[in-house]
Amino acid sequence: MAVHELWTGTVSFSLVAIPVQLVSAVAASRISFRMLHAKDYAPLSRRMLCPVEGKIVPLHEIVRGFEIAPDKYIVMTREELESVSPERSRAIEIIDFIDIGDVDPVYYGRPYFLVPAKGGEKAYSLLVEVMRETGRAGIAKFVFGEREYLVLLKPAGQALSLITLHYSDEIVPEEEILSEKTGRAWPRDTDEMIKVIESMRSAFKPERYANERKEKIAGLLGEKAKEQMVESPVTGEEVLEGPGDLVSVLQESVRKVEAAQ
Amino acid sequence: MTARAIWKGLIHFGEYSIPVKLYTAVREQRIQFHLLHSSDQARLKQQMVCAYEHIPVPREEQVRGFEWEDGRYVIVNDDELKRFEPEDSRLIEVHEFVKAGDIDPLYFERVYYLGPDASQKEYDVLAAALSDTGMEGICTWTMRKRTYFGSLKVRGKAIRLITLRYTDEVVAATSLDLSPARLSEKELKAGSDLVGALAGPFRPETFENEHQKRLQEMIDKKAAGEKISIFRPKKKKTTAPDRLLETLEASLRKVG
Repeated sequence: MAVHELWTGTVSFSLVAIPVQLVSAVAASRISFRMLHAKDYAPLSRRMLCPVEGKIVPLHEIVRGFEIAPDKYIVMTREELESVSPERSRAIEIIDFIDIGDVDPVYYGRPYFLVPAKGGEKAYSLLVEVMRETGRAGIAKFVFGEREYLVLLKPAGQALSLITLHYSDEIVPEEEILSEKTGRAWPRDTDEMIKVIESMRSAFKPERYANERKEKIAGLLGEKAKEQMVESPVTGEEVLEGPGDLVSVLQESVRKVEAAQ
Repeated sequence: MTARAIWKGLIHFGEYSIPVKLYTAVREQRIQFHLLHSSDQARLKQQMVCAYEHIPVPREEQVRGFEWEDGRYVIVNDDELKRFEPEDSRLIEVHEFVKAGDIDPLYFERVYYLGPDASQKEYDVLAAALSDTGMEGICTWTMRKRTYFGSLKVRGKAIRLITLRYTDEVVAATSLDLSPARLSEKELKAGSDLVGALAGPFRPETFENEHQKRLQEMIDKKAAGEKISIFRPKKKKTTAPDRLLETLEASLRKVG
């Protein structure tokens, strides 16, 4: 499987530093459409327009600004933004090894994998192995895409997964949604419900749940592809926005839909 | 109790039908930047441009296509897609209960809180039953024209509703083709000892977004006309494979 690296740097604990690459743990499996020009079916690209001059602005003329007053901006250059946390933008430093059961799922953000870069395979394996053996997960901080993330590192098979966590001040306190009356004990009713829950016990089998809407859209596209296909003019320009392997994903789901019928 | 509910539903399983309200559990606060034109600092707007004619294309001249093969598209209109929108419902249907912790966090997408609606008692009973059994409910529901697959679990006093990714959206660790490296007993022992020495409880409140604070300070400085010092990102020297044991032992001496 081709993996696209999002970031390269090191993951470290104490004096051990391992070269790694960050890749997404979320697959682009949604059906993604392209916007086309209705008259000639040429693909459209997302560009930035200057409303004052009424023209499309090339990439090198785009800067980032922070609004300090209406229509008044402080422009920040790439170099300045990189200078905010230079020590964390290439290094994921594990601060603590915690028990993963201690993490309330409300903290979880987005999942990634770290894969070893050349020369890091051995130390990487060691970190995965000892975390599994001790049942511990690493807590670290790093800067990625100009944001600082608190992250959880945990073993996933032979791999090291990285999950971003929210900061505690971003979590809504439960007191904001519960009244003081919450949490009274009703032992008889609880015992009765426990019986029902136990009777519905099962193993987690996520493959039982499918995105039905996606399958229906895949079916529609399969039908339409047989008769109504349009051709776009050759633009000689790289305009793709999304990953290129969606067709195979879709064809696979079309096959599944057909097999299910 | 100050938060505002964003949706109302009924948790259903067996003979139970428990009214709940759904709340946002996370409020992100981030410094937002806008994209500007460098020459006049005008705020830029997104615009779709025809890749063939290089002209802006207004909304009414755009159609949605799926690229079936290179340069060949299947055109789909909004009405066709609307047909597949699920019907609205208030039901959070629980299909089965699994052991809490059985779900790999890679599946977690978004977490909401559920609070009691009409009946405080039924809510309390469900929270207690989930807590006592150590189970979580796997459920499906439709909210705002989208069908979700999720998990119902309790932590603290509030019940959480976690939306889960479908299996085909989760990259399997096995697809990364990683094979374990050969490690000596000594290396493993030193590694375990080091992890043990660095072990501690998870205290989320001790972490703050320092980067965001420093960024705000930098913006303020620049707004006051001060000069910003430029630093390059630092790279760490990586541990050579043949010096792993030595480095682990040095680490142990340092923390111990």
